[in-house]
Amino acid sequence: MAKVQVLNVAVLDNPSPFRNPFQFEITFECMEDLPEDLEWKIIYVGSAESEEYDQVLDSVLVGPVPAGRHMFVFQADAPNTGLIPESDAVGVTVVLITCTYRGQEFIRIGYYVNNEYTDPELRENPPVKPDYTQLQRNILASNPRVTRFHINWEATMEKMEDSENVDPAPNAMLPPTSMPGKAPPLGLMPDNSMDCL
Amino acid sequence: MKLLKPSWVNHNGKPIFSVDIHPDGTKFATGGQGEDSGKVVIWNMAPVLREEDERNENIPKLLCQMDNHLACVNCVRWSNNGLYLASGGDDKLVMVWKRAAFIGPSTVFGSSSKLANVEQWRCVMILRNHTGDVMDVAWSPHDVWLASCSVDNTIVIWNARKFPEIVMTLKGHTGLVKGLTWDPVGKYIASQADDRSLKVWRTMDWQLETNITKPFSECGGTTHVLRLSWSPDGQYLVSAHAMNNSGPTAQIIERDGWKTNMDFVGHRKAVTVVKFNPKIFKKKQKNGSTPKPSCPYCCCAVGSKDRSLSVWLTSLKRPLVVIHDLFDKSIMDITWTLNGLGLLVCSMDGTVAFLDFSQDELGDPLNEEEKNAIHQNIYGKSLAITMESQLSSTIIENPEMLKYQQERQGNQNPNEAQGIGPENQTPKLTNVLNGESLEDIRKNLLKKQVETRTADGRRRITPLCIAQLDTADFLPALFNSVPILPGSSASTQLTPQISSDSSTANSLGLRPSHDPTTTSPNKTAEDNKDSGTAAVNSIGMKSNLLLTSASKIEPMKALDSRFTERSKAMPGVTSVPLTIGITPLDRVKDSSSVKEPKGKDETSSDSEDKIMVKSIAKRKGEMEGAEVVEKRKKGRPRKDAKTMPFPQTPVEPSRLTTPIAVLKLPTPSIQKSFSTQVSTDGVTYLEVENEVSVVSGSRLSQLKWSREGREWDVLLPSRIIIAAGSSNVVAVACEDRTLSVFTACGRRLIPSIILPVPMSALHCSGHFVMALTASAMLSVWDVQKQTALVKNESLNPILSGTDATVSQSFLTQQGVAVVSLSNGKTYCFNSSLETWNLIADKQDSLVQCTDFRNCVSAQDALGSMGPLALTQGRNLSAGRLASRLSSTPHHLQQGMTLAFLEKQLSSALILLSASEYRHWLLIYARFLVNEVEVNERSICQRGNLTGDLTTEKLSRPESFTISTCRQI
Repeated sequence: MAKVQVLNVAVLDNPSPFRNPFQFEITFECMEDLPEDLEWKIIYVGSAESEEYDQVLDSVLVGPVPAGRHMFVFQADAPNTGLIPESDAVGVTVVLITCTYRGQEFIRIGYYVNNEYTDPELRENPPVKPDYTQLQRNILASNPRVTRFHINWEATMEKMEDSENVDPAPNAMLPPTSMPGKAPPLGLMPDNSMDCL
Repeated sequence: MKLLKPSWVNHNGKPIFSVDIHPDGTKFATGGQGEDSGKVVIWNMAPVLREEDERNENIPKLLCQMDNHLACVNCVRWSNNGLYLASGGDDKLVMVWKRAAFIGPSTVFGSSSKLANVEQWRCVMILRNHTGDVMDVAWSPHDVWLASCSVDNTIVIWNARKFPEIVMTLKGHTGLVKGLTWDPVGKYIASQADDRSLKVWRTMDWQLETNITKPFSECGGTTHVLRLSWSPDGQYLVSAHAMNNSGPTAQIIERDGWKTNMDFVGHRKAVTVVKFNPKIFKKKQKNGSTPKPSCPYCCCAVGSKDRSLSVWLTSLKRPLVVIHDLFDKSIMDITWTLNGLGLLVCSMDGTVAFLDFSQDELGDPLNEEEKNAIHQNIYGKSLAITMESQLSSTIIENPEMLKYQQERQGNQNPNEAQGIGPENQTPKLTNVLNGESLEDIRKNLLKKQVETRTADGRRRITPLCIAQLDTADFLPALFNSVPILPGSSASTQLTPQISSDSSTANSLGLRPSHDPTTTSPNKTAEDNKDSGTAAVNSIGMKSNLLLTSASKIEPMKALDSRFTERSKAMPGVTSVPLTIGITPLDRVKDSSSVKEPKGKDETSSDSEDKIMVKSIAKRKGEMEGAEVVEKRKKGRPRKDAKTMPFPQTPVEPSRLTTPIAVLKLPTPSIQKSFSTQVSTDGVTYLEVENEVSVVSGSRLSQLKWSREGREWDVLLPSRIIIAAGSSNVVAVACEDRTLSVFTACGRRLIPSIILPVPMSALHCSGHFVMALTASAMLSVWDVQKQTALVKNESLNPILSGTDATVSQSFLTQQGVAVVSLSNGKTYCFNSSLETWNLIADKQDSLVQCTDFRNCVSAQDALGSMGPLALTQGRNLSAGRLASRLSSTPHHLQQGMTLAFLEKQLSSALILLSASEYRHWLLIYARFLVNEVEVNERSICQRGNLTGDLTTEKLSRPESFTISTCRQI
């Protein structure tokens, strides 16, 4: 069982201009004193099609972590726009927060991110070359997708015994096209609602 | 009878495999399948019991849910004291849960449910041993043991007072073990398995009492569970699925002779679960009728695959009630309320039902005293403690019980105060942050949080501790607060105690057990290999499903998959490569085979310890001194130093008149022969054989030295007590208080040194010989230069005023004598200042409050080897408490770290340990650069010192430190 449970992630400064840094306030609980630091990363998915455009915005060590409930704010700069395919700049993408312990990822928290022009004019007729100064980033904070991985928490040389990939609600993903204004398709998450846009 | 199906008790439609009502009746737990994992949910009982509470929105229904089990939960059981909840699942784990009283409500982050957990239950222990799905768990009476059974065909008995200690693994079933029940008297445990047998095991020696097969010969392994049950009076055991004339039954087995003459008949399909009412009843007295003494009887609920439930009274021939079509699928578990009038049933269809009986229907429940009277009638006076009140009147037969009683009295009040109810405890978040509200903290968290850079330039954030968890609360202290059953000392596996307990055991009419330690280690070492292929398949299939959904390349799906894919392919990520998804089946198999050797290791080390305990016990008195020496050679602290009597055998009585022997250190006793390894290399051995021959009345002893085939020996006129050697010299202390020193070639260096008192410890290192006498006097000689470095220096300064004894002593390569005491302090003698210097203290708060980990670079993260590390322990617990200080000002911690590092430096210096000095200097320098304003001069001054003492001489210390500074 995981020694570290993420209790909450609050998305701060949201929605915000595209170039603002990401800020996540992460609350987690640790069952016992960890001899090593946790490593957190923010990964911005530049394009859904390929991992090639993924950007690790920042990684940070968090420690020391004794048993207890802790919180910290993870701030990372906005993605390098030069690395984002122009066709993917506007629209829905994903930002991931991962946490690893001893080099093993045990939790992955994903958020849909909607990048949109605030100006209705631009929204109607988006420029061919994206204008990042006009883009607004909106993280769908109400709908985090949490994936937990079973890792080996002990220092032993033993390999992970069970690296089963577990997704809490594999069928509940929202097709991003149906987002604006629409009620989410009622999969397994009837009490979730999209409260943004 | 009233019947209710509370629809709000569900696992979102997923099956519920187990249900158990808390002993205080205020809540109940369900276990089963969650969204993607196993799920344990704790529910409030009040809305089930009362309609108005169900409608009242202020009364929470769900108290807590736990998704920690990786796979379906098959069983949940509350401990009898209500403090713990045990759960077992398909992930082969048993988890023990305890309520965390001071942490506020929270949700499971990212889960679909937005309901807050009203109560916080934390997993305090994970019990790993089973190699297959855990099907049933059961707490023994008084929570002394926890038993779990599994599809790996075994039953594991865990010591509930010392988790995760395993008392015994019961082997004998040849099929999946699917149900467990303890004898309420505590004498037996019964198990039922797919191998068409029901086995009863004795708790005295954990051997098989009886194996019942006849009623099960026609049974097929068609049920998910086989939850059997023992009647509260202990007289009857009722099995799950049995067959009689090809009809499904629940077999009644009589305790007396294990007779199987009766059964509960009527269910159309296999019986999955039987559960006795915890109460014993007697006939309700009708008004006016003459009070006729009627025989007390029991009540039993039977659930079946045919989806119906029957409730029986042992006084009636027909069932009291049969309820058909209560569920859409098989009944999985039944639980009674402690008052015996309520009953919860759960089903595979994911629903539960509540039955509420009246006393008219069931009868008058006997109170605890009456129940006890029945027990005493049947089993005699000296029966296990069944009640608190009885405990005080029980004659205390052994010290363990006395201790328990004292503990119990001490614990009673806090226990009562902890009474668990939905309203009497509104858990509060204890903020360690002086009066600041959480909201205020959150506002400024980004600005306030401490961020540093590590040695390799990475960001490191010290998280803000907003609530502490008392990790110690599941240590033996709390598990201790359970009664001691006769024979329960077997669980601690100390043979002597069992024999001392045999008086109790005999009066119980139990056979005194044969030595369990001889059988247990070997038996547990074996493991079944055919561990649950079913589990393997299901897991395999599951990951396959996930894979197919993830490998689509459609754009939208591609996005989705990003949530679940591992970051292994991402730049800059160093996660361990996984074989996920390629051959899931193989992977799971692999993992189980990886797990197995671990289990073996554990048990083997366990058995080693046991042997150790035994041998110590056996050797006590005559040979214990030698044991001490051997331990010392291995550099292990001696724990039993305090309790050890001073051995008097080896020396003549005149010693006792020695006036200076105020302080006494134990001396080793004389052994016929022994051998030691010369510490510095692995190939040199010293062998001593006393009394090899007797020549004209004097006994000759032989010292033999050997290194890779070369050897020499020397004869000595007196028996040898201690021998020690280094690569250069060999020293032996004899019974006649002489000390002889030889070179490594066997040449006698000096004539025998006469010591005033016998030797307690002797060490050699390089050309140095260190002698610690029984009168606590220390001498160190340089035998090459023939000088004394330390002359008969008393340990009085460090020993006086404490009741500590010397736990370890050694001599460094540079001839510095180091003495560790049992109070965790370590001293060395500085021969130039002629002082004792404290170099390590395990209780030092500075050590525990430092945080310099981010200054330890990768290459020296492994730590340094040397005398300092030896005394402080390789795993220096530095920084363990650092967190506790997260609320204290950063500069305070900085100061503490600085002070600690300074201390390390000076200690390394006084020990003349160059490599360690260098190690700590580097950390010190990095810390200064990272955290404090650079004070290059102070580092450089120290650099000079390094130059002075390093063996690998740094030509220009200045440049060394400056370059170090630049490195950082």
